[in-house]
Amino acid sequence: MSPLLQGVLTIVIGVGGCVGYFYFANLILDKVIFPTKGPNPGRNINRANQVRPWLFLFPAIFALGLYLVYPVIGSFYRSLFNRAGDEFIGGGNYAALLADDGFRTSLFNNFLWVIFVPAGATFFGLLAAQLTDRLKWGNIAKSLIFMPMAISFVGASLIWKFVYANDADIGMINAVREMLGAENPVDVLQIPFWNNFFLMVILIWIQTGFAMVILSAALRGVPEDTIEAAIIDGANPFQIFFKIKVPQIMATIVVVWTTITILVLKVFDIVYATTGGNFGTEILPSYMMSYMFRDDGRATAVAFVIMLIVTPVMIWNIMQARKEMR
Amino acid sequence: MKYKLLTCAAALAISAGAARADSHVSLLFAPGEDSTFNWQSYEDFAAAHDLSGQTMTMTGPWTGADKELVESVTAYFTAATGATVNYSGSESFEQDIVIAAQAGSAPNIAVFPQPGLAADLASRGFLTPLADGTGDWVRDNYAAGQSWVDLGTYPDANGDDQLFGFFYKVDVKSLVWYVPEAFEEAGYDIPETMEELKELTDQIVADGGTPWCIGLGSGAATGWPATDWVEDMMLRTQDPATYDAWVANEIPFDDPAVVGAIEEYGYFARNDDYVNGGSAAVANTDFRDSPGGLFTFPPECYMHRQASFIPTFFPEGTEVGLDVDFFYFPAYESKDLGKPVLGAGTLFAVTNDSPVAHTFIEFLKTPIAHEVWMAQSGFLTPFSGVNPEAYASDTARALGDVLLGATTFRFDASDLMPAEIGADAFWKGMVAYTGGEDAASVAKTIQDRWDSIQ
Repeated sequence: MSPLLQGVLTIVIGVGGCVGYFYFANLILDKVIFPTKGPNPGRNINRANQVRPWLFLFPAIFALGLYLVYPVIGSFYRSLFNRAGDEFIGGGNYAALLADDGFRTSLFNNFLWVIFVPAGATFFGLLAAQLTDRLKWGNIAKSLIFMPMAISFVGASLIWKFVYANDADIGMINAVREMLGAENPVDVLQIPFWNNFFLMVILIWIQTGFAMVILSAALRGVPEDTIEAAIIDGANPFQIFFKIKVPQIMATIVVVWTTITILVLKVFDIVYATTGGNFGTEILPSYMMSYMFRDDGRATAVAFVIMLIVTPVMIWNIMQARKEMR
Repeated sequence: MKYKLLTCAAALAISAGAARADSHVSLLFAPGEDSTFNWQSYEDFAAAHDLSGQTMTMTGPWTGADKELVESVTAYFTAATGATVNYSGSESFEQDIVIAAQAGSAPNIAVFPQPGLAADLASRGFLTPLADGTGDWVRDNYAAGQSWVDLGTYPDANGDDQLFGFFYKVDVKSLVWYVPEAFEEAGYDIPETMEELKELTDQIVADGGTPWCIGLGSGAATGWPATDWVEDMMLRTQDPATYDAWVANEIPFDDPAVVGAIEEYGYFARNDDYVNGGSAAVANTDFRDSPGGLFTFPPECYMHRQASFIPTFFPEGTEVGLDVDFFYFPAYESKDLGKPVLGAGTLFAVTNDSPVAHTFIEFLKTPIAHEVWMAQSGFLTPFSGVNPEAYASDTARALGDVLLGATTFRFDASDLMPAEIGADAFWKGMVAYTGGEDAASVAKTIQDRWDSIQ
């Protein structure tokens, strides 16, 4: 069978299956289990309506349970065992992590990522959203800024690897340095500490588009009369932006910020594809990778640490998103 | 043109009646044509096995040009038996095979570049022992057969030693590649001893050139070329027994012997004058790109230490033996350690039991399976049943001579160490050392990691 046909068939079966499930489950509920005809039609309708939400939620709950809740519990359980998985060692893996220099470096680097990437992406996103807001060619600018979103992390990393290349004929940074009269090219990915920031730039570059699109929509939603009132009161453009617009879209900014934060804690592709965790750029997910499938106890322990860090951010994110919806 | 040739070859093959009618694969060398090949072994194998309609999956570390080469060999298996071979190569094979094995979706055959990784999987019960008699066959037909059997034998899940790995395709690593023309022009002689090599290195610097091209970049496997350097240096500064003790961690990684070998590597790689682009360029230059400096004019570097497979990555049209040649990475005259040779090889193991997989291993025992790749590039074999005339060039034959001229042959240490060390900590440690960290502290970090897995 050709891959094209397979793809089409998968879509048909997948979508058809979903539609079929909801249609027939509903049909059975209404006609067979709680029929609206025969005795007690009123009571049956009420009961059917009580069951219906669960019927519709079931596939989602089942899939989440199977693919999210079970793995979390399974991972935690596994992290309490030794390398081979046959001996219970309690918190041994966690103790070993804390004693490991590499883990501390990754944890520190990860904090840098969590602080700077969401801040950078949100800042540039907000800037782009505001600057392109009333421009004729704003939409073209926006599409250009949004485009990196469509590139995979690995693809983006490879592109930036060329930008950073240790060769003035290939690397943009070294080409600029050469133009300014620098003699020898430098490998920016090997500059201790600062190389982390060069990697962060890649993710900021990708995520700015996301922040821009959401914030641009939010800016459009700011009521015109508040801005007009401010103009009449003699506010300058900066005051309008910082004192009128930003406070009104604060909730959206927080959602964007936290969404990117969660993403940052999951991204490992960029480090993996550029430095492979060398030169002191290891972050938690890439640190986990160097243990994964070798010492699963240690790897799941790292995974659990990452989850512990993500959870509060995630809860805050959901709370903010809900607040905004109200 | 190449395509046309292939089609012609395929047409010839079919008309010769050697290929089964139902096969659509194109064979690079028409069966029965060239008498340097052992076609009898092919015909016999084809007559003995019929697996029409069956399929076999195989994964390995070979991608790009190497993938085409391995597929040119499996094409003969397909033509002989009718079974289809689906080969897929992966840059991150070391991780992928473990994921596939644990998920129960392993391919029929996996091609391991590292015995250490295969041993790890064998001990977890993911490998199927090879058919009875394979060990005897290897012992009888491979040069230094017992060592190849030993390298492919690991304890299974119950702790019993079994033969899991069949070695096919060997690399000699103790080689220095150079461009004869460049050497001639500058008036340099091939160094016979390590002392002379160091003199030559200084001489090139004094003449205003850069002696070495070194590149450690290799995606997630960045750092491995440096481990080869260290292993070669280990064999040139210590006796083989110390090397074996190091591999088995009977002496710690931060033993002065090992630290000394790391520093011998640093003698070349950490000197800005000695390496193309300065020592900072070493860690991040891709190993596939780094020999490119040999071929520029004027040469960006004069020498490149790399295994026998590297011509695959030389610029298109480079003729080995004419445009580029190699010499044996020499040993110290003063140390009296003979002529040690570092090598490596890939081993085929059955990761998902099926009759086709075992038949394929049988196929690898035929001379033709070796000769087809020998006649192309990047392939050496310890199989004594092949016709050396089949090697594509005198250079390849000369490589075989390096193998034969060795007084000591040792397998790549990082491939024998546990995967966490040989395929992670050692690599990363070498990158850190190349970047300026202290050899002793790097070695200590690696030993700490080794301690944590025992």
